Amino acid sequence: MSLSRSPSPQRSGGWSSPGLTTPYDGTSRQASPARTYFNGNANNVAWATAQAKSAEVRGYPQFSPKNQGFTRHFRRLSMKLPHFTGGNYSEKEKLGRGRPGPAGRVKDILSWVGRIFWKLRSRFALVVGVLILTLIFYITPLHQVWRRSSALGGGDKFVIILAANQGGGVMEWKGPREWAIERDSVKNKKQYAKRWGYELEIVDMSTKKRYAHEWRESWEKVDTIRNTMRKYPKAEWFWWLDLNTFVMEPSYSLQSHIFNQLSENTYRDINVYNPLNITHPLTEPYLDEETLSPVGDGKPESINLIVPQDCGGFNLGSFFVRRSLWTDRLLDIWWDPVGYEQKHMDWEHKEQDALEYMYQNQPWIRPHVAFIPQRKVNSFPPGACGDKGEDPKIHYQPADRDFMVNMAGCEWGRDCWGEMYNYRQLSNKLNRNPWEKFKDWVSDTFNRVFHGKKPEAKKDGKKDSKKDEKKKDA
Amino acid sequence: MRVDMVWDTLPRGNWQKECVMWLNANHLPSPKTGYATFFPNTTDYNLSDSPPSWSKIPSLRHAMTLWPQTPYFFFLDDHTIITNPSLSVESHIVDPTRLESLMITDVPVVPPDSVIKTFSNIPGDRIDFILTQDKDGLGHNSFILRRGEWAKYLLDAWFDPLYRSYNFQKAERHALEHIVQWHGTLLAKIALIPQNTMNSYTAKDEKQASDSGIYKDGDFVLYFGECDNPPERNCELEMRPYF
Repeated sequence: MSLSRSPSPQRSGGWSSPGLTTPYDGTSRQASPARTYFNGNANNVAWATAQAKSAEVRGYPQFSPKNQGFTRHFRRLSMKLPHFTGGNYSEKEKLGRGRPGPAGRVKDILSWVGRIFWKLRSRFALVVGVLILTLIFYITPLHQVWRRSSALGGGDKFVIILAANQGGGVMEWKGPREWAIERDSVKNKKQYAKRWGYELEIVDMSTKKRYAHEWRESWEKVDTIRNTMRKYPKAEWFWWLDLNTFVMEPSYSLQSHIFNQLSENTYRDINVYNPLNITHPLTEPYLDEETLSPVGDGKPESINLIVPQDCGGFNLGSFFVRRSLWTDRLLDIWWDPVGYEQKHMDWEHKEQDALEYMYQNQPWIRPHVAFIPQRKVNSFPPGACGDKGEDPKIHYQPADRDFMVNMAGCEWGRDCWGEMYNYRQLSNKLNRNPWEKFKDWVSDTFNRVFHGKKPEAKKDGKKDSKKDEKKKDA
Repeated sequence: MRVDMVWDTLPRGNWQKECVMWLNANHLPSPKTGYATFFPNTTDYNLSDSPPSWSKIPSLRHAMTLWPQTPYFFFLDDHTIITNPSLSVESHIVDPTRLESLMITDVPVVPPDSVIKTFSNIPGDRIDFILTQDKDGLGHNSFILRRGEWAKYLLDAWFDPLYRSYNFQKAERHALEHIVQWHGTLLAKIALIPQNTMNSYTAKDEKQASDSGIYKDGDFVLYFGECDNPPERNCELEMRPYF
């Protein structure tokens, strides 16, 4: 090609077109000399060749041209691939190199995995770190500290007051059944309190001389609550529980079940459900607005007493009371000798009836009392408030997973121990972890298929008694 | 209004109307005194069969509803008059420092020999109920109540139908003495002050009066006792000289 117009006097065109006379005489300096350039005229080819050569020498390209970057990238990749130049291939083909071996050798897989891990080591470290921390949190008591502390879980704001040792064997013999009932009830509350970081105060309700008849039998509940409030100065809410109660769903915390939405979970206007037919709101014209209002001031902060109602009125087997001045006054005025003297023969349920009386006759009480639907904290078994156990407002329904069952009145004609045992079994069954559910499913299916029957209860009994023993030993 | 004077009255003849007129004339609510007055009748409130003196309790509750901003309620019954209108309730009685200096502590709440004694270390600003004692009981005709949740508690507990049905001999007076001794949350907010501070008795009642109870010139309040028991006594005759 004539280069008459090239700036350089040299024949080959000099700097503007180097490489035209570069000796390409077949001797290659490396294994893959051939560089086919598909684009371009002679000028481009020459210049690109020179650039490539200098890049090789230097080990890196001189510059990355803007519009050639992409193709250059491809070129680099293609440069790295093994290139056959027919026969001039010095290395023997090594079978198996870069390909999985005939049986997928474990070592290779492991080394591949190891390489991946090494590459992503920072991310894996993070994940593993989080896992370890979570494990530590749950294995050690850290999660309990979390749940207890007032800043985080708020557990130490709640105190469960469990009335144990009812009667203390003074008026009636306390036999093995009574002991067993007490043991189960206490264990159930202990586990629940431990799980959520609540305080548990087990109080001795044995018959004391100062509370004997003609004084204030059964009003000792009031004194007990007062003492407990003094004993736990940090706590805000106190939950009184009779002995014949069982927490069926320990996975519900009090905060999530009731207190986080206190105004939705309770009602202040007793006309929503009024088994005692109390006139509400009050009508005396000399009373102030808040006392006359059916819902007090409507704010959840002013609720100081949460009481469930059963078919016959207030039920104090399971109720909540908040620390406040109002509560101090209520606990003080609850028992009065003048009232007691006139009414104790009428007040069959003693302090419960006294509370109903005060609610009706002393206006200062109403604005701070809220009622809670019975099945939220005080479901009844069949036999209490109805034999069949069908009342949707009152009776425990396993399908709805009621929180707590109160076997009220079981000492009058029913079997307290039997009920406690059955509810305990039911609670364990409803709260099985997935592994246990799977095992039970397997055994049920097996029994159904091979024996044509479902001896579930028996199996559960065996399993649970084993579990109970383990827990006892722990 | 800083203070509300509640005068409980029984509807009786002309004498009583005159009394009310005089009281109104002398103690009108004015910007200067800042006092309001309230004259309920005992028949205004439903007491069933109880003695009419029980009406003081719902009348106080009523006053608290009618004057929602007033902090103090000074109750006087219809045999009590104010003899020294220049004294202000605040500076004379209610002001915390003054009250602390007046408070009688550690004495039987119900004289002469109650086991329950008044508390000795309540600060003056925590008191909600100021009373006097005479020789054998708590003064029921002249007392000061501070508005608040505790006041509602006191009045409602005091007015419990069970106390009325118990038929105490001296009606609400005995009821008050009873609840104040049995319930510490009530006792905790009560102050007793010397009788002549706001409940002086005339010479006719000196047998009932405590040591400091006989009227002297300059005393704040004067009580004429059971002066509506003719023929020995006659309220009109006794009270008129002081108008």
